[in-house]
Parts: sequence; C-alpha cells; structure tokens
Amino acid sequence: MLVKTGIERLDELLKGGIPVTTNTLLYAPPFIGKDTILKHFVLSGLEEGEPIIFVLTDKSFSEMREEMKNMDKKFVDYENEGKVKYIDVYSKGVELQEEGQNVIFVDSPINRERITASIISTEREFAKKYGRHRLVLDSLSTLIVYSDAKAVFRFLQVVSGTCKRLGATSIFSMTRGMHEEIEVQTIKHLMDGVIEMREEGSRMQIRVQGCGEVVSRNWIDYLLEKDEIKLTGAFRMSRVA
Amino acid sequence: MIETGIPKLDEYLGGGIPEGKSLLFSISPEVEESNIGIHALHHNLEKGKTCVYVVSKSSPKQIEQSFREFGWDLKKYGEQLHVVDGYSRLIGAPSDENFVIFEPHDILSYEDVIDEVLETLPENTVFVFDSLSTIMDLCGEREALQGIYRINERIGKKEGVAIYNFTVWPYNESVMYRIKRGFDSIVEIKPIRGEALRGQEYYVSKVGWGGKEGKRVMFRIYRPGGIKIYIPKIVVIGPFRSGKTTFIKTLSERFTSVDRLGATIAIEHGTVDYGGYRAEVFGIPGQERFSPLMEKMGLSASGIMIIMDSSKRDEIDDILRMVDKIRNKNIPYIIVANKQDLPGAMNEYEIREKVGDSTVVKTVATEGKGVFDAFKILAEKIIEEGGSNAG
Repeated sequence: MLVKTGIERLDELLKGGIPVTTNTLLYAPPFIGKDTILKHFVLSGLEEGEPIIFVLTDKSFSEMREEMKNMDKKFVDYENEGKVKYIDVYSKGVELQEEGQNVIFVDSPINRERITASIISTEREFAKKYGRHRLVLDSLSTLIVYSDAKAVFRFLQVVSGTCKRLGATSIFSMTRGMHEEIEVQTIKHLMDGVIEMREEGSRMQIRVQGCGEVVSRNWIDYLLEKDEIKLTGAFRMSRVA
Repeated sequence: MIETGIPKLDEYLGGGIPEGKSLLFSISPEVEESNIGIHALHHNLEKGKTCVYVVSKSSPKQIEQSFREFGWDLKKYGEQLHVVDGYSRLIGAPSDENFVIFEPHDILSYEDVIDEVLETLPENTVFVFDSLSTIMDLCGEREALQGIYRINERIGKKEGVAIYNFTVWPYNESVMYRIKRGFDSIVEIKPIRGEALRGQEYYVSKVGWGGKEGKRVMFRIYRPGGIKIYIPKIVVIGPFRSGKTTFIKTLSERFTSVDRLGATIAIEHGTVDYGGYRAEVFGIPGQERFSPLMEKMGLSASGIMIIMDSSKRDEIDDILRMVDKIRNKNIPYIIVANKQDLPGAMNEYEIREKVGDSTVVKTVATEGKGVFDAFKILAEKIIEEGGSNAG
C-alpha cells in the first residue's frame, strides 16, 4: 500500500507514493521547497481522510495553520473536524503567548520525553478514531542542535517504532548543511527512505533513496513555483492509476 | 528513612530510602509521564525536608506550572526548595536561580555545583534529578555516569538521598549494565497497553538494602491529585436489598448508573478515590445467585465485594454459593457484612462459620460506617494477591 505525497510527478517517480506506515527523511537545504513538500504531503493525506500530527520545532502552530490555510481553504474544515493536531515545541521556548485547541505545547526541544509522550498519546487517539494517519516532524535539525545526534537517534528509535505500530506514515525533516556527515548517516539508518533535495548551480534537484520501488534513483531536476514543485527532469514514464 | 510518597512503594522499599542511598526511576519513553521524581519531591517538601531539584531538560519555571497542575502550591515551601538550574545555559538564557550549571555539557560543572549545594544546605537533604538521561546525553554517557556516582557518594556522606528520573532510551547494553550496578535501588516505570486498560505500572527491580523486590503495581497520574494506584474494576455483588447502591454511592466521588442491559437491570458505576487508591467500582443489580451477568463481569474483575444484609440469615446460603464460585476463580474478594445496625445481625464469626475462611468487614452503609475500611482492605488484597486482573 502506498500513500501519495500529493506532488504528481514525485508520486510517479515513487510508483504511486511512499509505502504506508514507513518513515521518510526529507533532507534538504533551506529555501528550496522542503516546506512545500511537507505541506503537500499533509494536504494529500487530509484529502484521503488521513488526519495529521504536526510536530513543530521552528515555528508556532498558528504560523503553520496560516500557511496551510493560504495553501488550501479546506484546511479550516479539516481542523474543525479534529483531524489536525499540533505538538508545538516552539512557542513556549520563545515565550510566545499562544493558546489553542488541538495543540500540545512542549516547553523545550531538549524535553524529548514530553515530545515522545505527546506524539504517542496523539497517535493513540488517531489510531483509535481513524486508523491510518500521518505525521510530520519539522525539524530533527533543531532537536540535534540542542543536544546531539546520538540522543536524537535514540529518540527516533522510539518514535519511529511507535509510528509504525500505530499506523502513521511519517516524514521527518532535516536541514542540509547544518550537520556533520556522520550525524546524517546516523539518522538515515533509522529511516525507510530518504527524499533528498539539493541545489546544483542554478538547478534544483531531487532524489529518492529507499522508499520501496521507484522509477529512478537519479537526481531529477525540479522547479519551485509558489507552493508548487514541478519535476521537470526526465525519468521513464509510467502512468500510475 | 526518606519516603517517596508513592503509594505502597515505601512499604516495598522497607520504609523508604535510607539516608545516604540513591534511587533511580527507570522510565520507559513510552509512558506519558517522565517525571516521577517530582512526586517524591512534593512529598518531602510536605514533610518539611530540605529539597534540591536539579533540572536539565526544561526551564526551572516549568516546575511551578507542574506543581500547579497537580494542585500543589510551590510558593508555600519557600526556602525549603532549592533549584539547580542546568537548563538556562543550554539555551543561552539568563537564570534567576542561586545555583547554576555554567557548563551543562561538562559533568564536572555539575559536581562543582552539587558540592557547593552540599556545603550550603543542612544534612539529610533530598535531591531530585530531572533527568539523568538528559545529563548523559549532554555530558557523554560514561563521563556522566562516573560523575553521577561521585555525586551520589558525596550526597551520601552528608546523609542525603539522591532520586533520579531516567528515561530508558535505547542505550547500549554496557551503559545499562553500569546503571543497574550503580544505583542502590531501581524502580522501573512501564506502560500497560490494551484497549480498556491504559496506565502504567511500577516494578521494584532492585532494593540494595533489603526490601521487597519484584513487586508490580499499576498506577495512574491525576491532575490534580498526583500518583494513585489504579484498580480498573472492582465488582460489587450481593442479593436484593443488601445495600449495594448505598454502599457504592457512599464510597464514590462520582456515581452513575451507566448502562441499561434490558429492562430491569442497570449496572451502577462509581469512581473511588481513597487512601492512595483510585478504583472503578461496578455494582451488579440484585440477584440471589451467581448469575450469568455476575459471571461475565466478575471474571474480568480485579476484585469482588460480596455485600450481604447481615440480618437475613436465610440468605447465607446464597452468599456461600457466591463465595464458592469466586474462590474457584482465584479472584481477591471480601464479604461486606452490611446492615450491622439491624437487630439480629450476624457478626463476622458467625458468617465465617457458615462460608468458611473469608475476610469479613462489618458496615452500616446508610451511616457510612466501615465503608471505606472495606474498600481499603479489598484494595490491599488486590495489590498483595496480585491476580492477573490486578494490573
């Protein structure tokens, strides 16, 4: 079973999507469309009836909500239906006075215990009510910066196991350029697949490792337009139903 | 002895933690609460002890909020509580605390500050570390543990007690081995999975000074309220008009008739909060015999109360049949000899003579007499006999 990323040609490249209840690392430098991929992944899940858990370390839940609303007005409806939950690991740390339903605040990115507990309790709720669901954790980089890759690796071992058990298909983001290669390798070890993005001169490229069967494992060119990612590079075409 | 204040745990520890010793709460990352130490902290503040809270994974301000959520007032302890701030420097924030870890990535910095604390404060101080795993992640596993053992020694010399929260992330075996050897006592906190049963249990896995190892107790954490031993299902049975409804109502802080099964019967449901226990109590409508409904409810019960009208001597055979059924199932039970105020009420000896060796508790439910004693006696039996449904 596959779940769509919501980006048409990326799904073609993935022969239909990411395998269900797997963990994918989204590894990309800033400003070249990482957030766009995450948001499409969230919306395509909601369209298919799969609720979403956001774990946010770099922006408040209300910022994320605004961005999602701007991308798709229906997002408000999904939220009202209770299909969107936030674990906000940002606001309390920067002493933002935020409040909201469907939000759990965690005071610090060092408090991985609370993050884990919040993820597990939210997933349990979703698993019971809806079965399959999705999770986006943005980003691992912040967690690593506040402690170290080994500690985050152990945290991820627990969280990724829970995600699988409770029926979540998850994407964890990590910022390219912030980490030692050894740290990246450590984290990759725990993932079922990696979607990588890079800037090569003036070209932006994407590549898939793992993630089940794919059409091509080469770097593919893409264009980033407002809220859209368009894969322009060639790979063998095979329409997917 | 320094108590933890966690229900039943001090008993298993042989009264508490002896001065000079350490206790590790070894907490599965899958449980919802990672700060068990805070309950011991609160208990000792209540007892008037001088306490030190060493915080490294969240802001020292957080403790005030945690206390508030449990319904406790941090301010009332004033100078009794000292905070060692191992957090602020991590995120580059200023600290309002008297004791600050300036190099949170260096265990020596912790050692220096703890030394300073020990020099400043009286003996018998209770230290609560939140958490060992964070310190290990920040300072390196080996270095941190070596440093922590030195710290424990120094706290021990001053007749203090060191209590640690430790989240059991998937550390490698040699680290876990060192930890198991390095602390005087270890209490493991694990989740309990299952549809209806959500909660956690503690398991006394090591008591270095002789206590009851191997004890397992299911508990939940309430806000407000704190830690309570959780008993998911006590079933109350007994003949018509033996006083079951009055009994459950008196006992419960919340009471409802939740379910209607057919026209004539309704199961009553009460939540009891007493003596460190929290229990769900279900009353099964009056029956003379051990009915199919009793059988169904009773089989999955943690414990059973058989309530009888002590003045009705002709019903004692029904009670005997119920007792026989339950004995076969090995479920903890007591007989509640209710309506002791009525003329001709049988006493516990008379009842035992008829039904054989059983715990009999005398009550007058209408006056609330003996009701809570009965509950506590059954609750203790459930925990001690630890049947498969006890959690």
